[in-house]
Amino acid sequence: MIKRIFDWLKQPLGLIAVGIAFLALFSFAAYGISLTQTSPAQPIQFPHKTHVGLGIQCLYCHPGAAKGPSAGIPAQAKCWACHNQIQKTLDSQQPDTQFPLLKPLVASVKSQSRLQWVPVAQVPDFVQFNHRAHIAAGQNCENCHGDMSKQTVAENPQVFNMGFCLNCHKKVAGENHDLLVKLTDCATCHY
Amino acid sequence: MIRPEEIKLSADQSGKWGMVIDQDICTGCQACVAACAMENNISFVGEADSGYGRSMHWIRIERFWEGEYPEIKMTPNQPMLCQQCGSATCEPVCPAFATVHSQAEQLNVQVYNRCVGTRYCANNCPYQVRSFNWRDYKRPEPLPNQFNPDVTVRRRGIMEKCTFCIQRIHKAQDKAKSEAREVLDGEFTTACAQACPADAIVFGRVDDPESLVSQLAHRNHGVKHLEELGTLPNVTYFKGG
Repeated sequence: MIKRIFDWLKQPLGLIAVGIAFLALFSFAAYGISLTQTSPAQPIQFPHKTHVGLGIQCLYCHPGAAKGPSAGIPAQAKCWACHNQIQKTLDSQQPDTQFPLLKPLVASVKSQSRLQWVPVAQVPDFVQFNHRAHIAAGQNCENCHGDMSKQTVAENPQVFNMGFCLNCHKKVAGENHDLLVKLTDCATCHY
Repeated sequence: MIRPEEIKLSADQSGKWGMVIDQDICTGCQACVAACAMENNISFVGEADSGYGRSMHWIRIERFWEGEYPEIKMTPNQPMLCQQCGSATCEPVCPAFATVHSQAEQLNVQVYNRCVGTRYCANNCPYQVRSFNWRDYKRPEPLPNQFNPDVTVRRRGIMEKCTFCIQRIHKAQDKAKSEAREVLDGEFTTACAQACPADAIVFGRVDDPESLVSQLAHRNHGVKHLEELGTLPNVTYFKGG
């Protein structure tokens, strides 16, 4: 039985079938991997570069970064505080003058339902990350999150793995032995 | 072989965080056990697996009986938790370097993402305070909503143990740093010490001679369990005082 299958696979048609099966598997795997590398779908294709271009600080919308572990993603009330003074947004409240990007914002403000933003920059559960310490140590947002003035929807410029963290920790500590001990200690991030 | 005088010498030098437990005022109410489980996202093992000795606690109240039948005397309740040994027996046996000594905090830490679950550390711990996640235990509703976000939720196949509430240590240090000062004695404490209604558990810096915990620890009848093994434990017990 098995010998017959092998014999069939050895003839030209069988070889083609094996080739097609292999290619299908390979492309499926490649597609799966590419899915993990794309940013998740957001309720609004939020143009970061427009907001940064207008001179809005990162900490205005993500104030948690300076105070605690989580930077936070703003609720629509924060967006609305500025946007309700912008003509383009006010026009978007009428169906015929709607601006497509602002449509979900207007809808969520009207219905008082939360915009379901999807966090992009995440670390695994076994990593305890604190934004405050990094901001206080003089790190800028773009050191980890990339230059937001060139991005629309937030993307990860690099994978947040331990090598990425430790490279920077070692560089910052430099010759300061006490700081190096603290910054390369397992218990600083894993507990 | 470590000689007793070496233990004495290094015991004075080692340790940063420590604990004092007064067994005479411990009522055995188990508030610390419950508080610890809540603070540290400890799994609910349930009756069936507990029967196999797979119960998970980072702190437990031990009771012993002394004497023969008619004259049985119960010893004081003894809360037993990781002693955060300065020279821990669990550390050198880990093949994955998942249990390591934190140089910064002088604590014995378990790195969950490195642990492969050989359970060698638990077998080598003379205090029997490590617990192993035999399964992914389901939490009864509504308890899945009360996970502590500062502590990792452990998976199946991972060893875990008391961390001296290192998440609170880090939080207090972070707060102190943001206010440009040192962490004050008694500013924060572990979940077990906070929950203890009799204040039998005191936590703090043992390397600071002014702190409450080191003042209590240096009273003369304190006992460190199994100190003769050379583990340099950081928890001091008092009983019969």
